[in-house]
Amino acid sequence: MKNSKAKQALPILVLTVVVLIAVSVLSFTHDITKAAIAEQKDNKVKNMLKEMFPSIENYKYEDNLYTISSQDDIIGYAFLASGQGYGGEIEILVGLEDENTVKSIIIISQTETPGIGARITEKSFTSQFVNLPIDDIALSRDGGKIDALTGATISSNATVNAVRETSIEKVRLIKEVP
Amino acid sequence: MASLFSIFIGMALINNFILSRFLGLCPFFGVSKKLGNAVSMGVAVTLVMFLASVVTWVIHDYILVPFEAEYMQIVIYILVIASLVQIVEMTIKRTNLSLYNSLGIYLPLITTNCAVLGVTLINTQETYSLVESMVSSIGGGVGFIIVLSIMSGIRERLDLADAPEAMKGLPIAFITAMLLSITFFGFGGIV
Amino acid sequence: MTRWRKDFLKGIIVSNPVFVLVLGLCPTLAISTSIDNALGMTMGVTIVLLGSNIIISAIRKIIPNSVRIPVFIVIIASFVTIVSLTFQAYFPDIYESLGIFLPLIVVNCIVLGRAEVFASKNSVFYSIADALGVAIGFMLALLIISFIRQLLGTGALTIFGNELFSLPGLVEHPLSIFIQAPGAFLVIALLMALFKHTGVIE
Repeated sequence: MKNSKAKQALPILVLTVVVLIAVSVLSFTHDITKAAIAEQKDNKVKNMLKEMFPSIENYKYEDNLYTISSQDDIIGYAFLASGQGYGGEIEILVGLEDENTVKSIIIISQTETPGIGARITEKSFTSQFVNLPIDDIALSRDGGKIDALTGATISSNATVNAVRETSIEKVRLIKEVP
Repeated sequence: MASLFSIFIGMALINNFILSRFLGLCPFFGVSKKLGNAVSMGVAVTLVMFLASVVTWVIHDYILVPFEAEYMQIVIYILVIASLVQIVEMTIKRTNLSLYNSLGIYLPLITTNCAVLGVTLINTQETYSLVESMVSSIGGGVGFIIVLSIMSGIRERLDLADAPEAMKGLPIAFITAMLLSITFFGFGGIV
Repeated sequence: MTRWRKDFLKGIIVSNPVFVLVLGLCPTLAISTSIDNALGMTMGVTIVLLGSNIIISAIRKIIPNSVRIPVFIVIIASFVTIVSLTFQAYFPDIYESLGIFLPLIVVNCIVLGRAEVFASKNSVFYSIADALGVAIGFMLALLIISFIRQLLGTGALTIFGNELFSLPGLVEHPLSIFIQAPGAFLVIALLMALFKHTGVIE
């Protein structure tokens, strides 16, 4: 009787021990890699911001808004914008020079059609945004200054709209907080 | 509301699990020769996907994040899925034997179906809310059922088709999948 | 030693996990868009396969049969987490391009299959041979598929950011369908038919 009870408990005991060992090994690995992972994430953000604002010295992240400063002066803002493209979400990092002008944009992630919509990541498209007033960010057929990619109106439009709408929203936020 | 709809369409059609994300290919090429079986399999997968999405969402937001234990995500998610499959199997067996007889043999396979773990990981990655996670899992499931049914219909006929010797079996099934996948491109951009 | 060699060699061609056993299709088709991804995925799968095969065969005699599968899954999931954290910390580019397919190694049928079919029945010594053979077989399959897809889909071949060579004409007008979903199905279909026709596989 006692023997059979012990037999029944064994599988659960083994499973518990295996789980406990697994958890401790993983938390150990987590401890070792934690610092490196945080650094990688930070580096990635820093590198992108540096690409936009070469004179960056410091940045502050608050309310989904990066405030970029150099020698205690605020030299710009950056934030994420996202829009629904042809194949899914397009994520864009937008840099603002001041409350009226876009500094530049970087496409962070997209799942558009390779060779067609995915060309939104190319310089020939993104460079159109450089130093452009927010009011001019619209496709040229809508009276703006951005030329849509041939055959990829949805992708182009999604990018343009995401940049413009999020910029307007963030500018309001920036103006509220002096 | 609009965004829930676009999540649903996105998961079901545009980024279909099988044809565009390559998740859940094993049952797609394995068991999908009879329409009835394909639908049963799809329903079972959808059910587990839905339950898994709800449970993993609760665990992620109320346990893993507060305790900073997100590194345990993979282990916890797969254990949740394995237990859910067991629970669903036992419940169906006790309450509805005829349903068990039609779904039963597929249930154990679902634990290792990457579509299930895939949907929970996608939900977490996209930081979906509880409702959004539910919609995305149902959308994924519906897309899975649609493609599994289409494929089962085609494969029944494919067996009778006069394909070159080397193309018979899996290769021609892959070609069919390719054509279906191109067809599904047509859904791109509808939301 | 002959048995070790046999266990090692069989996974490479005779029981190639992708082309013969048709396992692990999801990652194979999803990440074979570039050689870099193929190598990253191979690295992940190899570490998990080797680690889980070693541990499982070492403790195979004390695992009660009834909790066998959960124990395997916990061990495999732990190795996947270790790989995932390590990649995230030291190879962030590969980590990002593999996306959810890195954590999905947990449900890769190749890994669980080897645990159940081989490691749970054989000694550590032979399980290492088995894991290495299967990993090489997986790598070969991934490399062949991603070579074709990357070359035709982008017109050039790059490894870790260095361009090896490019095909004039194709670079300007790449057949981008090959790095999209349909291309994956097409390439594996044609390769399988080719191998069948030439008698490389049954």
